[in-house]
Amino acid sequence: MIDLIHIQILSAIMFCIGVYGVMTRRSAILILMCIELMLNAVNINFIGFAAFRDFSESQRIFGHVIVVFIITIAAVELALAIAIILRLYKNKSSVNIDEVDLMKW
Amino acid sequence: MNNNLDLLIPEILVGSLAFIILGLDLFLKPKFKEYIAYIASAGLILIFIFSIIPIWNTKANIYGDILILDGYAVFFKSIFLILGAILILSSKSYVSNYFSYIAEYYSIVIFSILAMMFMVSSAEILTAYISLELLSFSLYVLVAFNRFSNRANEASIKYILLGAFSSAILLYGVSQIYGHLGTTNLTQIQKELSVNSEMSLGLIIGFSMFIAGFLFKIGIVPFHMWVPDVYEGSSTPVTAYLAVLVKVAVIALFIRVLVVGLIPIAQDWQLILIGFSIVSMVLGNVVALIQSNIKRLLAYSSIGHAGYILLGLAAIGTLDQKGLIIVDFSRLIVNGIILHLISYSLASIAIFLCVDIIFGNSDDEQIDIMRGLNARSPLMSLLITASLISLGGLPIFVGFTSKFYLFNAIGTQISLWYVGIAIITSLISLYYYLHVIRKIYIDNNEDQIAISLPILTKSILVFLLFALVFLGIYPNILMEFIYHASESLL
Repeated sequence: MIDLIHIQILSAIMFCIGVYGVMTRRSAILILMCIELMLNAVNINFIGFAAFRDFSESQRIFGHVIVVFIITIAAVELALAIAIILRLYKNKSSVNIDEVDLMKW
Repeated sequence: MNNNLDLLIPEILVGSLAFIILGLDLFLKPKFKEYIAYIASAGLILIFIFSIIPIWNTKANIYGDILILDGYAVFFKSIFLILGAILILSSKSYVSNYFSYIAEYYSIVIFSILAMMFMVSSAEILTAYISLELLSFSLYVLVAFNRFSNRANEASIKYILLGAFSSAILLYGVSQIYGHLGTTNLTQIQKELSVNSEMSLGLIIGFSMFIAGFLFKIGIVPFHMWVPDVYEGSSTPVTAYLAVLVKVAVIALFIRVLVVGLIPIAQDWQLILIGFSIVSMVLGNVVALIQSNIKRLLAYSSIGHAGYILLGLAAIGTLDQKGLIIVDFSRLIVNGIILHLISYSLASIAIFLCVDIIFGNSDDEQIDIMRGLNARSPLMSLLITASLISLGGLPIFVGFTSKFYLFNAIGTQISLWYVGIAIITSLISLYYYLHVIRKIYIDNNEDQIAISLPILTKSILVFLLFALVFLGIYPNILMEFIYHASESLL
């Protein structure tokens, strides 16, 4: 039987994989994908809470609505980030963020 | 449910102003395009006069409990409109000289002002988050606006990756809050928290991630990595915008979240915030000592200033025996924070405007280039001196009054040792501010080409100088409005 705790553990694991990826990946695109993974972990969390907690009708719908908003915001964020990464690729012909080092300290 | 759309008229007008400017761009001939700055700032001022002032004393909830309109929100909305108009006017010459898409720049700035206006009046975390994201998206575009500059590109990629990362963390916190309390409305959160003060592990994780996300957006020390790079890399008007309005907006939202939503668990977050604020006061001001780039120096000094303000936020969390907020003292602190935000904004606008005129779009803003500035432009040297001394907190400028008020108010609530650390770090900050002033007045420069200022820039500079001195001597004229704001919050 699947319970709220399982959903929460799944979302926590996904979130941690995302954080780990942001910390370790060197390609800007992969970092972006890991951030999307984190946002999807948040979505799973919201849906799980809305489904398994003994919420009232309006509280449950609220959880679903948030998810739609987060998906939209994630899409916009991705579009902006890809545009900026494309500029980086044109300037340096690489998307490795180790080479983004003009400014330090 | 009563949908008072007429209370949302300022936001509707600001949104339409942004679209009108985008549309005008299609019809105007290129040589008239620089006048768009006047349209934008005049529009913002007119919106302030004709739609904000009539609702000055209103107190209402809009759309159920999603948005709230009270004295606090109205006060900050007028701050955004007025400072936004000044910033747009002061960025006019830079934008028309160096940017190829003029109207887009102004319309994105106005969209971000719209986002800030929603932020300060949101009574609910999801609305606050969405307007915060609208603000952040506008800023990502603005930072990346100078497409051909490598530095701007680098700054924008650092900003968008770290910004998206931090909003994901903030959202995970929001999801835990929603799951355990069943609501994201700030007043409801307060009720739920005061009923059962026992917090589960999920709720603790949720609140810590939520606060961490906010601290990232303000630029407090463990989360400050983006601040110097983004400030240095973006074009100077955008830096001014980031340093002034964005900081004010996020802090205004954070005050409301802490005071309305999280006050029952104040004992849990107070010490954490004090720790963060001490670290950022010390690190911001000490690292600024070794900077040779003026924009980077100001970035570190802004981290220090965020630390002072965070100390004030932490001091609000002192509760009395019954676990209630001490209204009188907290009001004093909120007044101090708002006054300090305004004084910091005025001084920052002034100094960034001068940096913008001196360096243009050069790739490296070394302080050495400012040597002997007094011979080149006495007015600008006077203004840089005034604003740096105001940031350092010496009389007769407004920075002294605001720091005095803020530290005084903090000292009534928490241990004087913390205030002592704040005062010592602001003494350290005087060293690097005076270092810049020494370069301007005492050192000589070989090329003594006088800088000629356009009449518009000159009048903005004189106005800012007047405001810095006048509010320093006679802050009462501003305090009346600030009292109005803080009374409706607490």
